[in-house]
Amino acid sequence: MNASKALEKTLVASPERKLEADADLAVVRQVQAGDVAAFDRLIGKYRERVLGIVYNMTSNREDAADLAQDAFIKAFQSIHRFQGQSSFFTWLYRIAVNSTLSHLRKNRLRSFFSLESIREDDPVSRELVDALTDKTGVGRESFVRELQEKLNDAMQKLSIKHRTVVTLFEIDGLSHQEIAEVMDCSVGTVRSRLHYAKQLLQAELQPFLR
Amino acid sequence: MKDTDPKITLENLLRFKRAERPPPEFWARFESEIRAKQLAAIVVRRPWWDGIFAAVYRNHLPFGAAAALALTWVGVHYVGAPSQAERAAPARTAESPAPGNVPAPIAQVAASPVLVQDKADIDAPRTAPSRQALAAAIPSHITQAPAASQSESISGMPFADGIAASLADFRATDSDLAKRDVFGSDREFEAAVATARQPAAEPLAQVDPSGERLERLLAPALPAYSSSGSRSLVSDRMKQKASDDRMYESMDRYGAGGMSLEFRF
Repeated sequence: MNASKALEKTLVASPERKLEADADLAVVRQVQAGDVAAFDRLIGKYRERVLGIVYNMTSNREDAADLAQDAFIKAFQSIHRFQGQSSFFTWLYRIAVNSTLSHLRKNRLRSFFSLESIREDDPVSRELVDALTDKTGVGRESFVRELQEKLNDAMQKLSIKHRTVVTLFEIDGLSHQEIAEVMDCSVGTVRSRLHYAKQLLQAELQPFLR
Repeated sequence: MKDTDPKITLENLLRFKRAERPPPEFWARFESEIRAKQLAAIVVRRPWWDGIFAAVYRNHLPFGAAAALALTWVGVHYVGAPSQAERAAPARTAESPAPGNVPAPIAQVAASPVLVQDKADIDAPRTAPSRQALAAAIPSHITQAPAASQSESISGMPFADGIAASLADFRATDSDLAKRDVFGSDREFEAAVATARQPAAEPLAQVDPSGERLERLLAPALPAYSSSGSRSLVSDRMKQKASDDRMYESMDRYGAGGMSLEFRF
């Protein structure tokens, strides 16, 4: 039962997402009607997620900040074209992903990594670090740093499209259907890319797996 | 690493990346920057074609139909519409010769305020002339052509007007030639050319073979022309050269290397 629910969640968007999309559409209508300040609500709602996607695709926090801002500005400039046929966040994600892809293609040879700090108050990361090591203090911090660098290295070894799929699915939690909409490809393509990317990551991160 | 800990999968590791978040102060800077960019986006005027695209999107117009409509509009406004000169030219040919009978574009140039102003600057002491007087005062076929061609019945074509104007201008500048035909006659041409012609003379016949200069020039090539002193020197040099040539030729044709002998033809 749980497995089928989980599978369904990976395939299609959840009902919560649909409610969320309706609420977003109401705000978008306000902005289209001339209430520019209403767009700030959308920025506040999605800024962390958009920044997270761009950051995990670029592994550079400065570039990620610029690209996330540009994505919001592009969305603001062309919000009069938004028809509501897809959800706002899918549309916004598509803008952000496309901007990031074009940025990565332009700067293919230039890659500077500047990593964000790990939030210690995050229960997932704390549990994970606890499970991986029993060190405390400086040893623990250096281990976390090493793990972070290894993860980013492994992600950067993927192609841009594979990295995008992994980011959207594993880190941001989008369904296959939503990723297909964002990346403008079929669900089958999303699945095959995800499968291939996971195989590569598994090989890269083998020392940390057990 | 502890051995008793639960299994760590790739998904667990990737979830670790969710905890990578910027510090709270980052968001203050992010807010201010995005606000500035948003303000710039509002203030900066969008390009005119953005409005067209917006209209296409808003009204669900197919791109093909929109492109066809745009091309038609461009065709009607820029290609199909006759220019001012084209509009003026048929009007002039249809009606009787206007005062001055000036071709339309030229008349526009002659009557333009810029030209009138320039001419007025040149003729500053005098009183400002009228446009017709100015047009008549310009010494070119532009203004003289109509007067010269008034008596002739021109077909009314612009090219015929231009040729007539050029001819009248030519007649006015050079009256002697203008009395004759434009290109003169064949007999006049022959007579003029015949005086300029010289009888054909063989260049070698004019050369004095006994001249000292000739002897000096021909000496290296023809031993017969060389003087007695230099003749022996030249013949010796030629003999030497011939023997050298023969020797090199023989060396080229026969080659011996090791146990083989080569002949070249």
